[in-house]
This record gives sequence, C-alpha cells and structure tokens, in this order.
Amino acid sequence: MTGTPDLPALRARLQGGDGPRFWRSLDAVADSDEFRAYLAVEFPAASRLAAQPGRRGFLKLMAASFALGGLTACGADGRDYEVPYVNEPERIVPGAPLSYASSALFDGFGNGILVTTRNGRPLKVEGNPDHPWSRGGTDVLAQASILGLYDPFRSQAVQHLGRPASWAAFNGAMAAQTAAWRAASGRGVALLTGPVTSPTLAAGLARWREAYPEARWFTNSTRDGLLEGARRAYGRPVETLPDFGRARAIVSLDGDFLDLGPGQVGLSRRWSDARRAALAEGRLLPLYSAAPTPGLTSAKADDAVPVPAGRLEELARAMLAAAGGGAAPAGDDPAGRWAGRAWAALGQARGAGIVTAGLAASPDLHALVHRLNGALGNTGATLHHVAPAAEAGAGSLADLAGAIDRGEVQALIVLGANPVYDAPGALRFAARMERVPLKIHAGLYYDETGAHADWHLPLAHPLESWGDVRSLDGTVGLIQPTVAPFYNGHTPPEVLAFLAGADEGTDALGLLKRRWRREGEDDAAFDGRFAEALRKGFFADGAAPAEAVTLTGVPPTPPAPVPAPAGGIELAFRPDGTLYDGTHADLAWLQELPKPLIKVVWENVVAVSPALAAREGLANGDLVRIEAEGRSLTGPAWILPGQAETTVTLSLGYGRDVPDHLSRGLGYDAGLLRPVDTPWHLAGARLVRTGETRMPATTQHLGALPDDAEGRAIIRRQVVGAAPVGDPTDAAPAPSFYPPPDSQDRWTAAQWGMAIDLDTCTGCNACVTACQAENNIPVVGREEVARGRWLGWIRIDRYYEGDPEAPATHFQPVPCMHCEAAPCELGCPVEATLHDSEGLNLQVYNRCVGTRTCQSYCPYKVRRFNYLDYSGGMPPVTQQQRNPEVSVRARGVMEKCTYCIQRIATARIDSAKDAHAPIPDGTVETACQGACPTRAISFGNVADPQSEVSAAKRDPRNYSLLGHLNTKPRTTYLAGLAPAGREGKRP
Amino acid sequence: MNGNADDRPSGFGTAQLFSPGADAIYRLVLMTLASCLVALPVLAAGIVRSNYVTGVGIAPSQPLPFSHKHHAGELGIDCRYCHTSVEKEASAGIPPTHTCMTCHSQIWTGSDMLKPVRDSYTEDKPLVWKRLNKLPGYVYFNHSVHVTKGVGCSSCHGDVTSMQMTYRANAFEMQFCLDCHRAPEKNLRPPAEIWNMEWKPPADQASLGPTLAARYHVRGGERLTECGICHR
Repeated sequence: MTGTPDLPALRARLQGGDGPRFWRSLDAVADSDEFRAYLAVEFPAASRLAAQPGRRGFLKLMAASFALGGLTACGADGRDYEVPYVNEPERIVPGAPLSYASSALFDGFGNGILVTTRNGRPLKVEGNPDHPWSRGGTDVLAQASILGLYDPFRSQAVQHLGRPASWAAFNGAMAAQTAAWRAASGRGVALLTGPVTSPTLAAGLARWREAYPEARWFTNSTRDGLLEGARRAYGRPVETLPDFGRARAIVSLDGDFLDLGPGQVGLSRRWSDARRAALAEGRLLPLYSAAPTPGLTSAKADDAVPVPAGRLEELARAMLAAAGGGAAPAGDDPAGRWAGRAWAALGQARGAGIVTAGLAASPDLHALVHRLNGALGNTGATLHHVAPAAEAGAGSLADLAGAIDRGEVQALIVLGANPVYDAPGALRFAARMERVPLKIHAGLYYDETGAHADWHLPLAHPLESWGDVRSLDGTVGLIQPTVAPFYNGHTPPEVLAFLAGADEGTDALGLLKRRWRREGEDDAAFDGRFAEALRKGFFADGAAPAEAVTLTGVPPTPPAPVPAPAGGIELAFRPDGTLYDGTHADLAWLQELPKPLIKVVWENVVAVSPALAAREGLANGDLVRIEAEGRSLTGPAWILPGQAETTVTLSLGYGRDVPDHLSRGLGYDAGLLRPVDTPWHLAGARLVRTGETRMPATTQHLGALPDDAEGRAIIRRQVVGAAPVGDPTDAAPAPSFYPPPDSQDRWTAAQWGMAIDLDTCTGCNACVTACQAENNIPVVGREEVARGRWLGWIRIDRYYEGDPEAPATHFQPVPCMHCEAAPCELGCPVEATLHDSEGLNLQVYNRCVGTRTCQSYCPYKVRRFNYLDYSGGMPPVTQQQRNPEVSVRARGVMEKCTYCIQRIATARIDSAKDAHAPIPDGTVETACQGACPTRAISFGNVADPQSEVSAAKRDPRNYSLLGHLNTKPRTTYLAGLAPAGREGKRP
Repeated sequence: MNGNADDRPSGFGTAQLFSPGADAIYRLVLMTLASCLVALPVLAAGIVRSNYVTGVGIAPSQPLPFSHKHHAGELGIDCRYCHTSVEKEASAGIPPTHTCMTCHSQIWTGSDMLKPVRDSYTEDKPLVWKRLNKLPGYVYFNHSVHVTKGVGCSSCHGDVTSMQMTYRANAFEMQFCLDCHRAPEKNLRPPAEIWNMEWKPPADQASLGPTLAARYHVRGGERLTECGICHR
C-alpha cells in the first residue's frame, strides 16, 4: 500500500461492488492513481526509460542502438579444444543424462529425490516418485540445493582461529584432546547438533556416548513444542501423521501442513490426493483454518479466520467441551462464528475428522488438539502416530546455555548447527559461547558460529556425500554422492566418528554400510540389499510402524488471564516463506523467490494487519521499530490481509552477519526478540514508527491483469455440485483475425498443452525454483526486481477475495500460455517469436533484437526481457550448474516459458529414431510439473484424447485465462473449489 | 568552404584558391567513396566467408598427428569404433585414450609419434585436441537422429578417409544446415551407405531420395525448418 489504508472506504468499495472481486493488494482495491499508472504502463521499467528523453534524445538513442547493435554479436564463440577421458567411466556417456536416487535434507528430515547429472555434473533435482513419503514432489529448498552445491560461499577449508588450516593440523591438535576427554569419560564435553534423524549419525552418537559416557548432547530443534504437546497428551512424544484420505473435514488451529517445512512435500501430496478423491465422489473435503498470521495452509482453507495466537487455545477448549457433550462453540465475533462452523463440520464427521496444529502452536494447544481428536474418535482412524524420526534424549539449547553458565562445558562441538545466529536473542549465545575454552564448529558454511569457534571444519554437501536420513514418517532414505567432493568437506558422521576416536575407519560409506549391515548378514546378501536400496533411494521397510496411543492425565488448565497491556501487540515468529530458518540464506534463488503471500524478495518484512496499519498510520515500507523485553529491531512494515488485528509477524532467516556473504545485511534478525520458553509467540510487544520509509522490492503487481468487469474473472471458483464454471466445450469457435491452422498436417504432430489445477495449487513455489534450475534463469538482484525486471518464467499470482481483514486467498501460476492465436507473434518485426507445428510459441534468442514489442502485446505479461547481462556476471563455479540443453540468454533478448522445449526435443528425437512412434503420455514432463508436490500441473499432448492433460481439459472446471480475448491459450486452468454459498460472495 | 561568393569583395586582386586540378581530385575522392560503399561490404562478406575465418580446409596442429586417412581409410576401422555414441546420443563422442591403447598397447608400442598417447595413459592426463567443428551455443545438433535417419557422416564432415590431418570440411553456418533441412531428400542415403565416406548422390537420387524420406519417416522441409528444431 503506497498510503495508509482507509479501511472503511476499502470495505465500502468491496461491498458496493465497485472494487475488483479478486485483488492482489489494497492498492488495487483503492484503485489509486499510482496503481492505475502501474497498470497502464504494464512494465514500468520500460516506460520510465522511454519517458525520460525527448524526441531528439530518443532518436539519438535509437541511432546509437542501431549502430552498435551489431557489435553485440561479436565475441568469442566458445571453447576451441576437446578433452576426452583417459578411461571412460562405465555408464557415463558424454552429454547423456544420468540420474541418481538420493535424499534432500530439510532441517534434518529427508525427502526422496532423483539427481540428474550430465558429464558428471549434478544439474537438476527431481522428486523420486517411488519414495513412500515424498511421492515425487519436491520443495523449494530441494530444488535450490543444486545451487547450494555450486555455492561459492560454501566453506572450503578448515580454519583455526579464523586462519586457514588443514584437516591434518586439526587431527594433530585433537590427538591429545580426545585422549584427555577419554580419560575424563567425556566430562565437560558438550555436543550440539540439529535434529538427528540419520540412523548412521545416531549409531555414531551411540558410539560417542560409549567413548565419552559423561559427555552431554544437545539439539537445536524447531519441533520440540510439537513433541512436548504429544507428551502432555499421551505421556510420550510421538509424531502425528494425518490420513487425509479418510477425512471428511479438516480443522487447522495454526496448522502448517501445507507450509514450507519437513512435512510439506508429503503432506501436500496426501492432502491434494484426498481433495481430488473427495471431488470425484461429489463432495468437498473442507479445510477450516484459524491462525494468527496467514500461511499456505490458511491460504488454501475454505474457511479461514485470523485469530491471535493467545486465543487459539480458547477455541480448542470450546470445541473440546462440545465434544464432551457441552454446548457448541459460538460467539458473535468472527473467531466465534468460525469455531461454530468448524465445530459443526467436525461434529458431523466424528471419526473422520482431522484437527491439526503446527510447528508454532504451543505445547498446550497441541495437547488440546490431541484430546479433541481423541474425544471425536479421530485418533487411530484419520490420525496415526509414529515414533519421532529424530533421536530423543538430547538437551535443549537453553539447557546448554545453563550448562555453560555453570561452567560445566570445557569443550563445545557444534555439528551442523548455527546457534550463534538462530538461538533466541535472550540466550545471548555468542557471549556465552565465548566462555567455553574449546569450541569446534563443523558446518556447510563458515557462518556466525564458525566465526566464534576456535576450529571450523567444512562439512560436505549432501549432493557430494554418503549418508542416510529419515523422513517425517520414519522412511529411511539414502544419500549418495552425485559428484566428487568439490572441497575438503566431510560428513557429520565422519566428524563425529573421528572425535569419538573411532579406530575402525571413519569414511562415510564405511560408516553407512556398518550401520545397515544386519547381524550375521553375509557380504553378498548385504551388498544386494544395499545396492537395491541405493538404486531406489530408500530402504523399502523403513517407515515407522503406527503406534497405539492413549490419552493420559488431564487437559492443560487454562492459564490465568493476564491483562494485555494497552496498545500492546502480539509477535508471531515464523520460518521465512522461502528461506525457512536461514540456513540456506546465501542461495540467491531463494532470496529472489517472492514470498508466497507477501511477494517481497531479498528481505523480510514486519507483517501487520490492515486494521493495525490504519490505526498506527502505517503504509508499506514504513520502517517500524518492534520493542520487546528490552530489545528491539527495525524493519519495513508490510500490510498483510488476513493477519490477526494485533498480531505482528516477524520471519526468521534474515539479518545474517557473515562477512562477504550474499545474505549479509539483508533484512532484520527476528531471532533477537525470540523468547526462550515460547519461541514462536511473544505477547506485550510495542510497535513504534520511526518516520523513515524504505520500500522493499516486491513482485506483487508484476504482470497485473485487468479484472474483467463482465464476470469473465481471472480466478474462477467452482461450488461442488453446482453448474460448471468452466468454458463450455461445445461453444462455436469465435471468429478470429488469425488464419486457421494452415493444413491438416499441422495437427498430425503432438500438440502440447498444459492444465493447472488451481484447487490443488498450494502456492508453494517449487515450480518457480524448478523452472529457474532447469532453464538457466539468472537472478537479477533487488534493484532490478524493484524496477519490475524479475526474470522468472512462471510466476505465481496471489489474489485475495473478500474482506481485507479475513480474505479468501487464491494462487494462480502463470507460465506462457502458448496461445494458438498468439498476439506476441504479430508484434515481432524480426519473427523471433513464432509458432511451430506442435503448437509451441517459440522464442528464437538469436533472432531477437529486443524491441520488446511482443512483451507489450502479451495480454498475460509472461515475457521477460534481459535488460542487462544478468548471466555473464555469475561466478564460474555457479556457471557449472547451467543446463547445457538450454541456451544462456544474452543481454537485450526476450525470453519466456518454452514448455521445456529441451525435454520435448529429447522425446521428439527419441520418437523420430523409432520411426516416429507416438510419444507415450507422461514421457515429457516439464520442470514445473515434475517439481509440483501436489501434481497440480498436467502437461502433454492435447491432440491425444487419452492423455492426462486432455482428461484434465475435459473437466467441467477447465477455463482459459482471459479466454474472451480469443487467444486460444494452450495453458488452461481448473477452477478452484469453493464451499457452497461462498462462491462469488462479496464480503 | 568558400562561403557565399556575394560576401566577398569582387575584383582581380583575389588569389585563386583552388588549382585547376582540384575538381579532378574532388571527383576521384567521390568516386572512391562511392565504390567503397559497395566494395567494403563485399570485401567484408568475402572475408567472413573465407576459409581463413571459417577454418574450412585448414588442419590445425594437434597434440599428435592422428590420421583419419590411415585409420579409417587404409585400415578400414569403422567410425563407430571410436565415436561410440554417434548412434545413441547428441554427441558422437571423442575416443578416450583407452580406445587408442586397445591397439597401440600391442602395435607401434615404441613409436615416438605415439608418445603423447602413452604418456596420457600412464599419467592419467587426458589428451587435449584442437576442436574442429563448432556450433554456436544456441544451436542444438543431435548426431544420433541424423545418422539413424539417413544422413551420412561425410555429408557434413567430408571424406575424412582422405584427410591425412583432419580439417573442417564445411563451415557450419545456418545456410549449410538449412540447405539440407529444406530439402532433406537430396542428401538421404540408404542405411548401408551412412558410414561410406565416398558416397555421392547417385544419378537417381531425385527418385531415390523421396522414397528414402518416406522410409525414414523424415518430415517435410516445412517441419524441419521450424526454429525450435535446432534452437531452444
């Protein structure tokens, strides 16, 4: 919002029907002059350039451009030598792709992936469709992990007191040290890790404890509250896995099963499958959500309400009372009415409901949710419980701080964690760590903790090392190297085995095999079993068995009400929408990925509700100071529709402080204000305007599409059982100025098309990052994004509908539509964009002279222009990641989604060699389609009625975006589902 | 310039500014400029098409004087013995040192000429060859689809069995590719002739070509000249 929102006026516009039905920001609702100007020029960057010089200046510029334009073609044309192998490795054929099954790590948990390599270089991460947990999907971190492998900021050497050292020097220094530890039974030694789900690392821990019985182990885990809640309900910590397939209603109390996290891929897939199955049965699987701050889960909810974190337990208690025979929850405020509706759905679906809470929910709320599920008969029916994948028995970070204070820690070993950055600010961990005489840090980066340690050891990247990891459901995935290690890194089990003084070898593969060899198993049997697991990427029998749980004890008693300080606000701390906890903050792909809801890049913002903004006189970008418990931080305010009125959300992962690193100086460090005992919420903070303004770079309005007044809406909503909202299939083709397809022959080839299911699209961004990895899309930087030059080929438009305080949220991924009657093609003076006989709208980079006419002709605004040489400045090591099958675009060239033409070409060539046998459905999978955890994107031959995409396009929900323009887009959308009575309803 | 004559005082006292031959020089300069307008582009076009720039017919010095004429011509070793992936992959493949040593560990084991090969093998250091055939980065060529669809090696690479030292036989400019993609039937051969370096279109190619095109399921020129076939 470029100004403070005038909420009553905005509401009046929305209710009166003057405003748009679907809107991206309050600016759009207000229809301010600035917003109109933005819409009118479509790509603001272009207009600013042209508006500056006058006619004479323009002519001079054009003359210079013409004169110099040809020179850009000059230059060296690639390498002029050939280097064959000396001995060609088996299976590696130069230029041919080769995939390895492995696992991607997410905060210690695993998802199954396939890593595509070419010429021995890992280039792309795909989901492993056979993996029992992730089922072929990926998340943004997995997609970006390939960039992490080539990250020049990765730690490359052992450091001692900040100076380069070597493993040999470390080994030498440790020889006496480990002997001393052993003599003291490990007294005074503390080990700090992240969540340990790796069975091999767990075995290493067991051997470590044998060697040093009195050493202590701590973890820095984000999931403690979740497990503590289960302990309060069942007497022991268990992981809860929802079975959406059996559910009739889902109620989320600050739940996060669709949000970025270790469970996102697996749970999104299960939820979307269940949602589709319910639709096939002619019903809606409704999702009710109450949350203090909107996330992907609440965005996908059919009925969402903002509720401050402090009130969630009250709602759970009311429902629990109702389940025990009490009165149904009710109230005359939005939260109370929501609870009534959610309870009605749950009550009707006893034994087939799911109540879920998320990472940020308090242990008491988790305990209440478990009891509620138990009272409703859901436990064991729609909810299963398994042993937590992470090893138990570690102390917390606060315990470690206490031990340091008591002088009990003489040596601290930090293995793959960064407590100096991510410990709650109240712990003042850096200062505490200084008091430990010997500090050893092993990490992928020489980060804040590394800088405070005496020794820093580089860890190997998961894509270049051996290992194993458990998924949330306990499935054991294997990690295998896809390339020889770039630098001198070792894996955590190797470092631990060395420090434990292991005498039987400390190499990662040896440790891995040792862990998985069964007692008495002979070599042949083990090798066969291990090779099969490596081939598949996981051990087939790895998932943890479901455990029966019984409620013990009594429900937590409500805390004594604390009077809220007047004018105080509640802080909600949340993992960032693209960076999560900031471990991978140096990955530019993640930095430039628009946050799913906020749509800001390269920094975090202070999210405030429209009402709070109106009350405090805040506009987007106003710098505000947040003060709590004597500490403060400053960040730009951002008005977030759907935010609880007095809740302010701070996202983690920013404010990093590692010299020279990419992430340095971006955003604020929310960890500063995090309390120790309630890490996700803090009541009684203050928000102070500083009077300064700094506008964050946002893609919120990028490619803004006009909301059509005649009801041909950009977003369509389908009520289950109601008349179809999709385009009629039997309508006569509208007359067109474009020539009809020139001959019958044109339609004998495969005709590529795409359908995107808006109901199961969760806005997770995996497709955007996958596209970036596959298609060599460079990052452009914050300033360029602020000029409207974000370069992604697929963008996810986020629309709101309804009241600004509690809107419905819709996501719409927009790649190139590959229009059959493509307006862009008419504009190009050099025929650099044109159609082929398979229906692809081609972009020929070597023909393009950069007039940008096509961009201004494109009604969907999906074309992107290289204003500068974005690719040329990449570090050499990062250039190694580029996909050799896709051109790297130069400055002055237009680019856009190609439907992954390189993948189509591969299939086409294979078919051509096979006498033009028809390409089987599913052979060509676009990068976005492959990455999607919910399979929302289908792609294939629309001329083949048997194909998956043809089936999707026959769905009565199928509609064309801006179809009335008669562009005949090949990419179409399936309308999202809406509960009865809420479709098209104005607030 | 003289400016306007009316501005000057008239009279015989004014010296002659230009010699009688000045007009001739003026015309000569004009004519030279005019001819340059034509000649320079012609010259430039000639230079960029010359073998000097395209490298056609020029055999660069290589780490060792490998002779295709000897190996592929006189000894008759099949192309695919060394270029193993030509039928399967985009790249035909450059043989690893191991391939050379399959024979040269047995014959000519003491030859000075082969010392770089033996050194490469014993020291595990790859041979670094000068690259002959290059395409711009935005062109995607696939060997396998060409050789399986009736385009022989020599159509692009020339008769390498006659090359003592290997040189570039054709400048791979877009025109060269398009000539064939517009009318593929002119260069299609029967499967048995793909590896024949001395193949020339037979007299009945005009009738044979379309038959072969049908047999290979080669799409017509319209399809093969679509930009997306080579550029992506």
